[in-house]
Amino acid sequence: MTEANTNRGVLFDVKQCIGCGSCTVACKLWNDLGYEKPDVAGNAHGFDVELTDKNWTIVTYNREKDANGKDVLRFLKNQCMHCKEPACISVCFAHALYIDENGAVVCDPAKCAGCRYCMIACPYSVPKYEWDKVFPSIQKCQMCDSKIAAGEATSCSAVCPTGALTFGDRDELLALAKKKIAADPSYVNHVYGETEGGGTRWLYISDVPFEKLGLPINVPNTPINDYLHGYLKYTPVVFLGGGALFAALSIYTKRRAKVAGHGEGDE
Amino acid sequence: MKKQTEKQQKKREPKKLSRRQFLGAVAATTAIAGLAGCDMGENTGGSGWLPKQYRSAANWPIQLKGRVPVDPENPSIVRRDDACILCGQCIEVCQNVQNIHGYYELPVKNEFMCVNCGQCALWCPTASIYERSHIDRVREAILNPDMTVIVQTAPATRVSIGEEFGLDMGTWMEGQQVAALRRLGFDVVLDTNFAADLTIMEEGTELVKRVTSGSAVLPQFTSCCPGWVKFLEFFYPELIPNLSTAKSPMQMFGSMLKTYYAKKQNIDPKKIYSVAVMPCISKKMEASRPEFKTVAEYYNDDSMKDIDAVLSVREFAIMLKEAGIDLPSLPEEDYDSIMGEASGAGLIFGSTGGVMEAALRSAYYLMTGTNLPEDKLDIKAVRGLQGIKEATVNVPGVGDVKVAVCAGLSNARALCEMVKAGKVDYHFIEVMACPGGCISGGGQPRTTVPPSDDMRQKRLESIYAKDAIYKLRMSHQNPEILQAYKEFLGEPGSHLAEDLLHTYYISRAEDVTPKKFN
Repeated sequence: MTEANTNRGVLFDVKQCIGCGSCTVACKLWNDLGYEKPDVAGNAHGFDVELTDKNWTIVTYNREKDANGKDVLRFLKNQCMHCKEPACISVCFAHALYIDENGAVVCDPAKCAGCRYCMIACPYSVPKYEWDKVFPSIQKCQMCDSKIAAGEATSCSAVCPTGALTFGDRDELLALAKKKIAADPSYVNHVYGETEGGGTRWLYISDVPFEKLGLPINVPNTPINDYLHGYLKYTPVVFLGGGALFAALSIYTKRRAKVAGHGEGDE
Repeated sequence: MKKQTEKQQKKREPKKLSRRQFLGAVAATTAIAGLAGCDMGENTGGSGWLPKQYRSAANWPIQLKGRVPVDPENPSIVRRDDACILCGQCIEVCQNVQNIHGYYELPVKNEFMCVNCGQCALWCPTASIYERSHIDRVREAILNPDMTVIVQTAPATRVSIGEEFGLDMGTWMEGQQVAALRRLGFDVVLDTNFAADLTIMEEGTELVKRVTSGSAVLPQFTSCCPGWVKFLEFFYPELIPNLSTAKSPMQMFGSMLKTYYAKKQNIDPKKIYSVAVMPCISKKMEASRPEFKTVAEYYNDDSMKDIDAVLSVREFAIMLKEAGIDLPSLPEEDYDSIMGEASGAGLIFGSTGGVMEAALRSAYYLMTGTNLPEDKLDIKAVRGLQGIKEATVNVPGVGDVKVAVCAGLSNARALCEMVKAGKVDYHFIEVMACPGGCISGGGQPRTTVPPSDDMRQKRLESIYAKDAIYKLRMSHQNPEILQAYKEFLGEPGSHLAEDLLHTYYISRAEDVTPKKFN
């Protein structure tokens, strides 16, 4: 067993992906998630799917223009980005969401109250709700934390036949990504996830613009949680100040009523 | 005694429930149900199953990984993910036997790399990969009283369909197959072997031209196999001039059916629905290739297709079983006429080396004006499951004709490299994408998974055993072929034959960056 590394990550190289979808099947097998019903042609899953409580990772395909303006087929693997400072965790009052010892953002369904705050908080719309359950909770990619804990790679990166997915230490992966970009000018000069939302454990490099693949580019570089501090710091002031104000008002109105009451009584 | 009965009586009396007890029970039930509803004890990080090779310590390389990509719009192949176990068999055959996966540089261009051969469908242990079904459209056509549904059967289907009914590998089922197709409701049952003979006439004539003219591009490659043709277009577009312009037998049959046959039999070609039962699922791709609009051009009607539907042997078996037709118990029946008669040469198209042997039998005649002597008709050097075979046939007045035969695209790749490097001086090369040829094609029954050489050998033997006892063993002896040329086509390579029976190829170099190996 390898010693615990709290800084795990996965690098997804868009240029290496052939769209085989092995990663999505591995996720289904390892996490025992099951499939939606096959369509008329017998196709189950494939590309025509969205992230749901049972689809923790999906691969979509796009026909886009590459750097030379040629039509190219490109794939994008979607799953939880595993932010270093996740907004979902900061909004989770039940502490169902937490960062485990490997750095993965995991959800403990036993603790999940089903409030769905995380669904609103996540800039990537990752957490999904079990709408069809009587006692639903949130479901999402757990970065195979039990598999990582055993010294193995995540299921998806273990099965990738082309090396599009690389599992490892996030800092090393970041260095690898930058080395790849430096060696090959066709890559977009940015590692998606290096700074997005304060940094994510899943990193992407690509030769077509990230927004064309469907990755949100409006995610700020500061952790979402930092924005909260801007106004949450006024909480004590509002509470204490409000309390003082209303206390003063209460005293004032009572006093006024008493004084007025005396006057009435006199007449 | 008395005490006991009192006790029993007391037991029978309904228990009285106090208000406190009742409320307690309700509270307890609610609490238990609530707790049960929570996913107590559920593992957060997954505890399912993955094949053993994926459970090694992170970052150590492993050999067999993942699976092949399948285009959701692939005309031949579909896959259902819920049956996939990531065993790696499809990628094994695609890479090591067919040399597709792993033989192109990443990133991909604008294509899911696939030649539609369907070997992955034969190797997949769970049948998660299978053919795109044409059963529904065929059924619809059969039920349509306005349509004359005409079916052709490939050479290699008659030695494998029996296996779907529990018969021994390679059992000869030609007559039963015809009977079964009639019982399924096909109006006319014809034989692709006829078109195979036609292919020999056209391809053989082309070969004779190339060999005797001296200036033309040699070697000539066969073009019967759509998987091989697509492979060449992807990886060796510079060899396209070497590819015979003759269409595959199935496509020739399609062209002839709605022109020659329709005229002879006085059927409105628009009312013909042309079905092919094939050992191959690449044929589904071939039928959908935009080049094959011969009939549409002939009649100036874009809605007409040369081939309307292609059924794999597996689909054919599904239809038979659903209709309750027990193939082995059927009587043997004969093909309809015309375009139902064939020679032994047409039959052996189904096995690797067969096209070559058939072509040599007729090319000899075309070059010398005399038939090969009876005892030399079996050209054994080109038979068998060996990956690459070669032979030399001495043709009086012409000299030695050197030929090579290969099956399996890894062997084709090796031959192409040799041809490109100028290391070989063959005149004619037969290539089949699937190991063993069509008898082990991607649309064949999954009798052994992955396909075994034992099974391939038995199907081959069955074909050659029949060829040996055929009366007509050379394509140019087939009376229906002679009739077709006399009454319709003129002569091999005529203007009409060029229009109907020949095609062109497109370079797919734009779609792939082949990997360089040293």
